[in-house]
Amino acid sequence: MHLFSRIVRNLAAVLVLSMALWAMLFYYAMVDEIRDEADDSLEHYSSMIISRVLAGRELPQIGDGSNNSYTITPVSEQYAMQHSHLTYHDENFYIPEKGEEEPARVITSIFSDKDGQYYELRVAMPTFEKNDLFESIAIWIAILYFVLLVVVLVVSAFIFYRHMRPLYEMLKWLDSYQLGCKPQPIPVQTQITEFRKLGDALQRAIDRSEQLFERQSQFIGDASHELQTPLAIIGNRIEWLMNSSSLSPEAAAELYKVNQTLGRAVRLNKTLLLLSKIDNRQFPESVDVDIVGMVKECIESYGEVYESRDISFQQNLPQRHVVHINESLASTLVSNLIRNVYIHAPEGSVARVSIDAGVLTISNQGDAALDGDHVFDRFYKASKKHTSTGLGLALVAAICRLYNMPLDYSFQQGCHIFTVEL
Amino acid sequence: MKILIIEDDPSLREIMSRALKQEGYVVEMATTFAEADSKVAGYSYDCILLDIMLPDGNGLQLLEHIRKLGKRENVIIISARDSLEDKVYGLENGADDYLPKPFHTAELIARVRSVLRRGRTAGELALSIGNVVLRPDSRSVQVAGEPLVLLKKEFDILLYFMQRPHHMVDKAVLAEAVWGDYADDADNFQFVYAQIKNLRRRLSQAGATIEISAVYGFGYKLAEKEE
Repeated sequence: MHLFSRIVRNLAAVLVLSMALWAMLFYYAMVDEIRDEADDSLEHYSSMIISRVLAGRELPQIGDGSNNSYTITPVSEQYAMQHSHLTYHDENFYIPEKGEEEPARVITSIFSDKDGQYYELRVAMPTFEKNDLFESIAIWIAILYFVLLVVVLVVSAFIFYRHMRPLYEMLKWLDSYQLGCKPQPIPVQTQITEFRKLGDALQRAIDRSEQLFERQSQFIGDASHELQTPLAIIGNRIEWLMNSSSLSPEAAAELYKVNQTLGRAVRLNKTLLLLSKIDNRQFPESVDVDIVGMVKECIESYGEVYESRDISFQQNLPQRHVVHINESLASTLVSNLIRNVYIHAPEGSVARVSIDAGVLTISNQGDAALDGDHVFDRFYKASKKHTSTGLGLALVAAICRLYNMPLDYSFQQGCHIFTVEL
Repeated sequence: MKILIIEDDPSLREIMSRALKQEGYVVEMATTFAEADSKVAGYSYDCILLDIMLPDGNGLQLLEHIRKLGKRENVIIISARDSLEDKVYGLENGADDYLPKPFHTAELIARVRSVLRRGRTAGELALSIGNVVLRPDSRSVQVAGEPLVLLKKEFDILLYFMQRPHHMVDKAVLAEAVWGDYADDADNFQFVYAQIKNLRRRLSQAGATIEISAVYGFGYKLAEKEE
């Protein structure tokens, strides 16, 4: 989830909750205040009536414009004893002038005259409709909520993108970053301490991994160099032995096998050297290379070498497709992909090669999908073919990385498909 | 023909000198930069095999020295660093050839022979064994003076053998040399057998006095026919 939408979502949720809470408090405070006022005036009114009753003076007329109404009922002493002498409550009160019931605040007081006769006085004062008040408060709170939300969103978007820009620049930089490609420095033009620290930490981490990467390829390169001389010695000694005529046929056959194994070691070493050279970008000079010609030549050459496997290519190639690339790397790229087909495709099958809109696609039949995450790793071997070094596709990937050519593997309808955007 | 081997590894030095001596060359050896420098200054050689990674100096500097001294020795650089810069730098600074490690003995001898021949014949690069003459530049072959037409692969194979006469050539090495990288790890070498068979037939039909014979079933050797 995007950071900004997460912030917006949380802000909106917090706003909803706090607004609802606030609306509730506001409503109760309001109701309480109104009731308080009503009670005061009711008390005043009822004590006025009681004092008039006791003094035997004329009682106020109902309908004198105050909207108040009252009843005086004589009650028994027992009733008076059982009930509180002064109670307030809300009830719906029939107002004769209006001919309808209205919510009203009612005060009930019980008093006795000088003869000991108890009376119950009920004074009612019409008040507000609670529902109406609640509704209008709710509406206004909702309006306030949306206005507030919009304001908060606009302001926080402004602040967010203004202050988070360094973060997004760093993320963009990280997206475009490739290990071992001598990156541009990390963009940290900000006064914000946290981002400066983040940028510095990032720079340190990148420097460290660049250094490790460099050391690793340096190590592979050095190790391969160091192996060259011993390999040369062993090879030459074996050749010397094989050229000497005193060898028994059994010894010669054994020696030949040793030599074959040595050949594999030499090839492995050469490939590792090549890989480390590609990673160290030691192939500067690029020329215009016709990939179509290269593909055709490769198919012809390997077709002869792997004639016994009886694999044919269905070619869908343009006249020419020229790419600016180091020639020997281009040849390594193409030959590894083609050779792969000859080695791994089922015997007698038809493979496909095409160049369409600058995309080289090579596909052949296969039993099951390879592990797409690791197929380009060094020493990834799907088959147990002893002749494969496990470095061919790693080489292809290294070359594609060097020239920023997207390389992809997929398995569709029983076919392994390799694509390179040239 | 006198050859100086400048190589710090004793075992490799021994093999190289043994192989070259067997070919009839007079071989001298130097193990360090200093020793090599004094030998180069004091004597003259037909060919110098120069390892560029020496314990006490860079062989490329020695190359500059040799050229500064105005010597015309043929120099073949031998390097474990199969790097293009070294190769380009070496060849630009007067080396005649560049041989990356690990190399085959036959390859070393072929390169030495080729460099020496180039020095002698000034550009005329014909290889000749028995009554067969092969000109790599014009890609032509003559048997007893008559032109022999060969297919591309057949020619390449013959060229490879003619550069290494009397040496056993591993069929895997041959496959790699003629068919390109990685051809040597093919499942079988049927394609090599087929081409060799055709080449043998063409040579014998043309009446060549050389033949390609199988050695133990894992390689071939080109030699003049024994009468």
